[in-house]
Amino acid sequence: MSASLAPACNSLKEKYDTCFLRWYSEKYLRGNTQDECAELFSEYKKCLTKALKDRGIDTMLDEARKNSRESDAEHLKKP
Amino acid sequence: MRVFDSDCTFEYSWEEVSTANWRKYCPWNDKSTHVVAVDTLSRKVEPQTGILRTERLITCNQSAPRWIVSLFGGKALSYVYEISYVDPVSKKVTMCSTNLTWSNVLNVRETVVYQPSPLLPNSKTDFKQEAQITALCSGWQKIKNKVEEASVERFSQNAKRGREGFEAVLQMSRRVFGEQRELENQ
Repeated sequence: MSASLAPACNSLKEKYDTCFLRWYSEKYLRGNTQDECAELFSEYKKCLTKALKDRGIDTMLDEARKNSRESDAEHLKKP
Repeated sequence: MRVFDSDCTFEYSWEEVSTANWRKYCPWNDKSTHVVAVDTLSRKVEPQTGILRTERLITCNQSAPRWIVSLFGGKALSYVYEISYVDPVSKKVTMCSTNLTWSNVLNVRETVVYQPSPLLPNSKTDFKQEAQITALCSGWQKIKNKVEEASVERFSQNAKRGREGFEAVLQMSRRVFGEQRELENQ
């Protein structure tokens, strides 16, 4: 698994990634869309959010997100 | 603006490719060493369509040519913002990425699509990649052209390495998955 940009979040990220990958291959791809890793994600996310803020990346992300509506409109709908 | 595109076919099922894609930049990939971290920012299954939407932040070691760095300045790390969409029913992965760093100098928009290969949909997966690279710096057209040329060149090197590295990840994933299944069946 790849690392987090914040070393302090690495272990939380690894726990979440492991859960997600298992869910993705064993459940999601077989039609079960019920999220099973939400708790692990929220712990990792808490750590990550702080790291993004400390590094000033959060503002860059806000800017980029403004343009994400276009791709959402194109790819979130059914073909 | 310049456009870089490439396509190839992986000798693995779409399920294998789309799963391994989540760990494309793990240590099994010893080619894409410019990627130092991959963080998930958000993830959600759209209730109406079942499409999985994921936002990620990819952290790279400075991969711009030296002269560009000295011309425009720059930090040691660069960041890429990626949104991906997985449609498990039509079996399509779409990934859209854009650069966060240097966004006032250069705009790189990449779209990658993974779909089952039409002729052998159960065992092969087609990969399509397109990147639009636009230099935004005002001033001399000559410099803009140079910046775009250098970026396309760097992009295509990374794309080639990325493909080789991903092959290694696919191979390891299949092996590990097979071993796991054997263990579970014992």
